[in-house]
Amino acid sequence: MNFQLTDEERMVQDTVRSFAQKELKPIASDIDKNHKIPDSIIKGLAELGLFGVYIPQEYGGAGLSFLSYAITVEEISKVCASTGVLISAHTSLCANPIYEFGTKEQKEKYLIPLASGQKIGCILLTEPEAGSDAANVSTTVKNEGDYYIANGNKIFVTNGGYKDIGILIATHDKSLRHKGIDAFILDLKSEGVELQRNEDKMGIRGTYTSVFALENIKIPKENLLGKEGEGFKIAMDCLDGGRIGIAAQALGIAEGAYEKALEYAKERKQFGKTLSEFQAIQFKLADMAMHIEAAKLLVYESAWIKDNLKNGASYNDLIIKSSMAKAYASETATYVTKEALQIHGGYGYIAEYEIERMYRDAKITEIYEGTNEVQRIVISKQLLK
Amino acid sequence: MKALLIGEYKNGHIDESFYELVGFANKIGADSFGFAVAPLDVNIEYAGKVYIADISKAKEYNPKVHKNLILKLIEQENPDIVVFSHSSYGWDLAPRLAAALKVAQISEIIDVDNDEYIVPFCNAKLRRKVKPNTQKAVLTLQAGAFSPVKSNAAQIEPLDYIEQDDNLEFQGFEITEKTGVDLTKAEVIVSAGRGVGKKENIEIVRSLAKALKGELGASRPVVDAGWLDPSYQVGTTGQTVAPKLYIACGISGAIQHLAGMKKSNFIVAINKDKDAPIAEVADVFVVADLLEFVPVLTSKLTK
Amino acid sequence: MNILVCIKQVPDMESKFKISSDGQWYEQSDLTFKINEYDEYAIEEAVRLKEKLGSAEVVALSIGPERTKEAIRKALAIGADKGVHIHDDESHKKDSFQIATIIASYAKDKNFDIIFLGMQSQDRASAQVGPILSELLGYNCITTIVSFEYQDGKVNVKRELEGGIKAKVSAKLPVVLTCQLGLNTVRYPTLPNIMKAKKKELITINVNELLNEQPRVINLKAYIPEKKKGGIILEGKSDEVADKLISILKEKTQVLR
Ligand SMILES: Cc1cc2nc3c(=O)[nH]c(=O)nc-3n(C[C@H](O)[C@H](O)[C@H](O)COP(=O)(O)OP(=O)(O)OC[C@H]3O[C@@H](n4cnc5c(N)ncnc54)[C@H](O)[C@@H]3O)c2cc1C
Ligand SMILES: Cc1cc2nc3c(=O)[nH]c(=O)nc-3n(C[C@H](O)[C@H](O)[C@H](O)COP(=O)(O)OP(=O)(O)OC[C@H]3O[C@@H](n4cnc5c(N)ncnc54)[C@H](O)[C@@H]3O)c2cc1C
Repeated sequence: MNFQLTDEERMVQDTVRSFAQKELKPIASDIDKNHKIPDSIIKGLAELGLFGVYIPQEYGGAGLSFLSYAITVEEISKVCASTGVLISAHTSLCANPIYEFGTKEQKEKYLIPLASGQKIGCILLTEPEAGSDAANVSTTVKNEGDYYIANGNKIFVTNGGYKDIGILIATHDKSLRHKGIDAFILDLKSEGVELQRNEDKMGIRGTYTSVFALENIKIPKENLLGKEGEGFKIAMDCLDGGRIGIAAQALGIAEGAYEKALEYAKERKQFGKTLSEFQAIQFKLADMAMHIEAAKLLVYESAWIKDNLKNGASYNDLIIKSSMAKAYASETATYVTKEALQIHGGYGYIAEYEIERMYRDAKITEIYEGTNEVQRIVISKQLLK
Repeated sequence: MKALLIGEYKNGHIDESFYELVGFANKIGADSFGFAVAPLDVNIEYAGKVYIADISKAKEYNPKVHKNLILKLIEQENPDIVVFSHSSYGWDLAPRLAAALKVAQISEIIDVDNDEYIVPFCNAKLRRKVKPNTQKAVLTLQAGAFSPVKSNAAQIEPLDYIEQDDNLEFQGFEITEKTGVDLTKAEVIVSAGRGVGKKENIEIVRSLAKALKGELGASRPVVDAGWLDPSYQVGTTGQTVAPKLYIACGISGAIQHLAGMKKSNFIVAINKDKDAPIAEVADVFVVADLLEFVPVLTSKLTK
Repeated sequence: MNILVCIKQVPDMESKFKISSDGQWYEQSDLTFKINEYDEYAIEEAVRLKEKLGSAEVVALSIGPERTKEAIRKALAIGADKGVHIHDDESHKKDSFQIATIIASYAKDKNFDIIFLGMQSQDRASAQVGPILSELLGYNCITTIVSFEYQDGKVNVKRELEGGIKAKVSAKLPVVLTCQLGLNTVRYPTLPNIMKAKKKELITINVNELLNEQPRVINLKAYIPEKKKGGIILEGKSDEVADKLISILKEKTQVLR
């Protein structure tokens, strides 16, 4: 067993950490308040190569390991969870399926601009009637020979507001359930794609969560990803990897909040002592650290499995571990941010201290890319197989 | 023990740091004599002999020309130690001279104990005690570490084996224009260090300066980052100031910064790191995040 | 053009330092190491020069234990072409003269045109290695540079003096230059370049092959200075601390009444 990061992974950690601490941390509160990640930050992320960490260099990425990607999302999320999911949703849910299932032409046309950060990607999967039950999508596509015509409504699209590139999940025959589902690469500037609004929400307020109406949009046939009927498999496959991204985001949020709580406990004095001198607080810190370490092991191990699928690591193992990582890390994030807020007392509740933001940001990690209930369904299904 | 003390001629006179070298020589009980490249009629308040190489012939500083002059003098006088101030001149020339003589060079000495020298390291958080492993040694002394000693005019002895060097060419000086502020006249200075984190936060420090009717100052990284222009910089390569009140916000207290402000009447440091070396000179050390503390202080002062 | 950049790994200066058990240095375990800040400017300037010239080779050299490779890899990721690791587990015990000797024995037959170094290291802060190296190699040397330009076989630099004054100096090649804070803004190594750096050559040489000189300065001991007491330390809630500070200022200075 080898618990060491490679030289490259350590360097990635170092680079992303210094970028996050220097450029992002000072403005994380503004990102939350203004509901927007500044263009300059997005440009900075692109220049560093953070939009395609594990995509090969020939397709505009950095060609590093999947673990480097998890570390990237973790380090960014320590200071700004919105920016963490910007990268994670873009990479796992849009660049990844094109990389895994796209043709050479599709990769050249769409993956290069995505992985190099000129375009920001998203996935249009969830619908009002298809949440956890993703196979229930009712957005329809009709094969018209040279192109497809799509109609329907999509909600909760992270990064949708950038209106660049999306993976559209739609059905050509709803009676076939998941076997009737197709995946397409969709240019969100196409005629008929209407961005209806960006939702106002509890946390990760720097990201867009967009609602789209799709009306008679024409999708060229060469934009079909994989074959007809493979759409559900493609969507599920990107969620298998995507979970690790969200798990890394949750881990980062937990670490960021823990660091703040640790610092605060050492500074704040009551009854003539620092908080860190009270055993009740010491135990809180110990529990928080314990959960974080366990979460980190799960996240890093799933990423390692993903890196080693070609060396014999098992895909079933990846499914089960990444679900565990996602559920455990997200519950660690909500738990740790709650305790960190508690350690801050009343100040934790005040926006200026930032813990309040982290507390709000943490919750979503238990919900998206498969709720934690769904993760438990996945885990138990594997166990009972 | 015989010591050769190297003076620096700057802005029309021998730099004050020379008298600290004299103080050092007295402290260790060495016989001393001096050397400088300066005009032959230069005034030096030192009770001893000083060899002067005529600056009109030697021209502006060229390391090789100065090195060869000093080597010649060493050959003639055979001193045990050669002492410089740890300045841009000293740290440039001392190592070259030591290498040419194949002897030890010890940098930035702050204290001495027999033949053993104390030098700071790790941003003055630690000290080392060292000694030369060679008969002779070349030393540089931290500015301000030894008390200056002055006396009557020195006995000047001209020195002339000036060989020119055409590998290196001096092209003139560039002087930072003191456009914005003249900090040397301010009664109150509130300075921002790297701890402010980003350019916009300078305003937090500026507001405190305003509330105290004082001027804004800065440490070097703030200037290097382009957050303020060079005229705000305090320290060896900026301005030397001595206001009635100096408040350092997010400044660690590196020697080069301290050298520019430690003569202030009253010093307040605001820093997160209790161990920051600025504590050495601070009359009041506020352990706090400046981004949080300074606005509170400012609002109380403006009330 | 052949360019050499010499870099050193140093601990983060905001660390809490302890003295090592032999009493000679600081305890190195538990510290995070990074590239000496002054050396980062050196790497950046070398890479900028290479980019400007189009054709040049930048070699990044570092002396130290195994961990030093990380610093070299970072230099490669910033844009150096080749790394040289001079393996020395005891590099912290070498004095500046020995370090300069090691570099000189590596560099003497390689025809480097420009050697960039930091003006000093953040831990040892002796500011000696560059000038000693130039003496050993017989190169020109300009220290403490804050601006650099290369033209027609000459370097034109600004060398920083005291009090906001700079000397403009030009020198013929070959030349040793020591870099001062603010010379440039150092780029982040990008992720694609981190990956590319993996494929760049990094050779290791044992220090014994390059050094057979004794130190000229003997290190007797290292210690933590006693805190000069006297200053008042204020800690706690901003509101109360601010009140206390204001009353102290009213009492002790004439600027507040
Ligand atoms: C901020 C945000 C960003 C998002 N980004 C995207 C995106 O980019 N792209 C995208 O397509 N979607 C996105 N989503 C959608 C997200 O993935 C879904 O909200 C999620 O999958 C849950 O679906 P739902 O909201 O319809 O809840 P429901 O499926 O209605 O679930 C409600 C509750 O019932 C539980 N539940 C449901 N079924 C079962 C069951 N069988 N057994 C036990 N419990 C069950 C759930 O766990 C949950 O607790 C985003 C959502 C949000 C809020
Ligand atoms: C030849 C030479 C000449 C030099 N000349 C000068 C000169 O003229 N002037 C000068 O200033 N420097 C000069 N320097 C540079 C000097 O060595 C130091 O690098 C510099 O002074 C450090 O500046 P700083 O204290 O602002 O930054 P740092 O040393 O990085 O310190 C920042 C401090 O801020 C604290 N901090 C961080 N965040 C916060 C927060 N939120 N709240 C409170 N505190 C915080 C940290 O604890 C730390 O102590 C020179 C160096 C050399 C080699």
